[in-house]
Amino acid sequence: MSQVELRSMWKIYPRGNVVGVKDLSFTIRNEEFLAILGPSGGGKSSTLRMLAGLEEITRGELAFDGTVVNHLGPAERNIALAFESYALYQRLSVYENIAFPLRARGMKQAAVAQKVRWIAELLDLEPLLDKYPGSLAGGQQQRVSLARAFVRQPKLTLLDEPISHMDQRLRAEVRARIRHLHEEMHNTTVYVTHDQAEAVSLCDRMVILHQAQLQQIGTVEEIWHRPANRFVASFVGEPAMNLLPARLRDRTTVVLPEVDHESALSFRGELDPGAHAEVTIGIRPQEIGVLRAAGVANTLPCIVRLLEFQGENTILTVTTDGPAQHTLKVAVAASEANAVGERVFLQVRPESIHLFEGDRPVLRRALAG
Amino acid sequence: MAEVKLESVTKLYGRKKAVDGVSVTCKEGEFLSIFGPTGAGKSTILKMIAGIEEITSGTIRFNGRVVNDLPPQERNVSMAFESYNLYPHMKVYDNVAFPLRAPRWGLRLEPAEERRRVKEIADFLGIGELLERLPQHLSGGQKQRVSLARALVRRPEVYLLDEPIAHLDARLKFSTQSLLKEFASKYGSTIVYVTHDYREALALSHRIVVLRRGTIEQEGTPEEVFHTPRTDFVGRLIGEPPMNLIDGDAATRDGEAWFQVGDRFGLPIRGPRAEAMRAVTRTEQGKPVARLGIRPENIRVSRARPGPAAFQLPVYAVVQEAQSTVVTFELPGTFFYARTRQEIGSADYRVGEPLWIDLDPEKIFFFPRTVALSTKA
Repeated sequence: MSQVELRSMWKIYPRGNVVGVKDLSFTIRNEEFLAILGPSGGGKSSTLRMLAGLEEITRGELAFDGTVVNHLGPAERNIALAFESYALYQRLSVYENIAFPLRARGMKQAAVAQKVRWIAELLDLEPLLDKYPGSLAGGQQQRVSLARAFVRQPKLTLLDEPISHMDQRLRAEVRARIRHLHEEMHNTTVYVTHDQAEAVSLCDRMVILHQAQLQQIGTVEEIWHRPANRFVASFVGEPAMNLLPARLRDRTTVVLPEVDHESALSFRGELDPGAHAEVTIGIRPQEIGVLRAAGVANTLPCIVRLLEFQGENTILTVTTDGPAQHTLKVAVAASEANAVGERVFLQVRPESIHLFEGDRPVLRRALAG
Repeated sequence: MAEVKLESVTKLYGRKKAVDGVSVTCKEGEFLSIFGPTGAGKSTILKMIAGIEEITSGTIRFNGRVVNDLPPQERNVSMAFESYNLYPHMKVYDNVAFPLRAPRWGLRLEPAEERRRVKEIADFLGIGELLERLPQHLSGGQKQRVSLARALVRRPEVYLLDEPIAHLDARLKFSTQSLLKEFASKYGSTIVYVTHDYREALALSHRIVVLRRGTIEQEGTPEEVFHTPRTDFVGRLIGEPPMNLIDGDAATRDGEAWFQVGDRFGLPIRGPRAEAMRAVTRTEQGKPVARLGIRPENIRVSRARPGPAAFQLPVYAVVQEAQSTVVTFELPGTFFYARTRQEIGSADYRVGEPLWIDLDPEKIFFFPRTVALSTKA
């Protein structure tokens, strides 16, 4: 439970002078659930390890509640770590594994017992307390690991490694449990993952790291509707945002060259006064309507090339009419029953359009709601 | 391309039955998925089709011809293994080209033609830049795509793909899945595909065989398996979060069928659903009991009471998705998930807050109990 500030933090690995993290500044708010998201090699692990005290901070400051902790070791920082990098102690019982962080802080026997019973009940671990980790199923071990991380209120709870490799049933359960514990305990929680769906599902806000640098920090809503750059726009969301070359016709309309005699799409939002004519239009697959007849404004004529049934949804792969033959992905309700080869008209609402010039967004969009 | 037919195929390892009397046909040009949890016997079936594993009993036919006794190299199949099985001393190029050089198929390609084919499939799968590297210098995801390229470079009678995209990260998995589907439809290939991931099975297949402990639990199109699961096992294997399963008493109240869950809630069950409930009702400890199944998408949650059949539970957790929110509730021994379609960022339900829950009566299933309910195992 604390506010954690990263102030111009750098990690430079002396071997080969590799920059792990470059001038990183952001604040983790008290009791917040923050996800650190990015592709591998983007700087997530370096950041996590510096937060945990497992890695020296090359330059800059790390402060917990205003106190600089750069020189404190992992134990002195009062943090809890969970998941793969901190395995369970195989020679201790489940009870002792959960009690370990409490005992390490000198808690009295009776208080330890009370705390362990309390978290065991919350995570349905009571029948397992006398067992040893080796005899537990994967999901049970996961819960013991969570119990150990959440049994006390550290300054910061760090959850490392994604849960995306669990089976779908366990994943749904563990997500719910993590979110529940976070709120019950009022912890400040940081969750590190490369899986954007995982980050979206759990966090209040997310930090996106790429090429050792902060790309954006914000709520899921902000990141979804106002991505700071093209990388963020295409990294968050599955299927990823469709990006196509376009040309500004005026302050409210773009045309798509070589798409059915230059299809025009009107957009809404504040256009950057300095924007040039050549732009990239971004449209999320989840925000496209599929019509079967022409004659409606803001549509692109397309042919359906591929259908991928997902249960509730179907993902369509379509190509645009005209010489450019751009490929787009569209998520539709499965009940739509489209067919391969079918002609469709993609309808894009003016408020769903993103525009980029190079890497930079040039259209400031309203947040929904 | 060939039709592959399994007739009562059984595989014993010692006394353990890995595959038990499986009969299934993969038609010519069909994409058939064998789908099930770990240990169901999926890979064993694929290996028997490939000829790598012997068949204990039963028959396998390619286009009507029995192949039981044909060694692997005499069966015209291409296989991708989950474990990649790349040749460590060969560059990626030579690994991919290997099947083109096998004397048995007598392709005798000119080097330029071989290069064209290897390059084509490598570029298609996004590994065109890796051809000069050795496998040891590749990431797991890259190795897996090399293994897939090696399987797809040749046009055999049947492709046998064992979890070929399981080790790719989420983004690459989805894009490679689309490529596989494109490949299959372009060449009209016969593909038998093994996966434990319901998304892949639904997205790729013409038909799905759901395997459970060596036997077929259900066989059907992706739509059939999704919309009309035959058992609780199949229902729970599909969807994230999976289908909710709830045990309750099959009661009668004022002459009306009623599904009662302890003192937490009760639901009137009408029309054909009442018949379905009666059909699966069993007596346990003197009480008639049934199991109800409903997908998270078919449950509405709200702060105001939506109707007479709605009931209240406190929120256990709220989890966001790109286009929806999953609200989790706790029931004895299990969790209960509801998905509400919402604009991103608009969910503000709090943990512990009581919400009204309304099940879509048209979307309720009743099943005999064949799986242990507790996820808390």
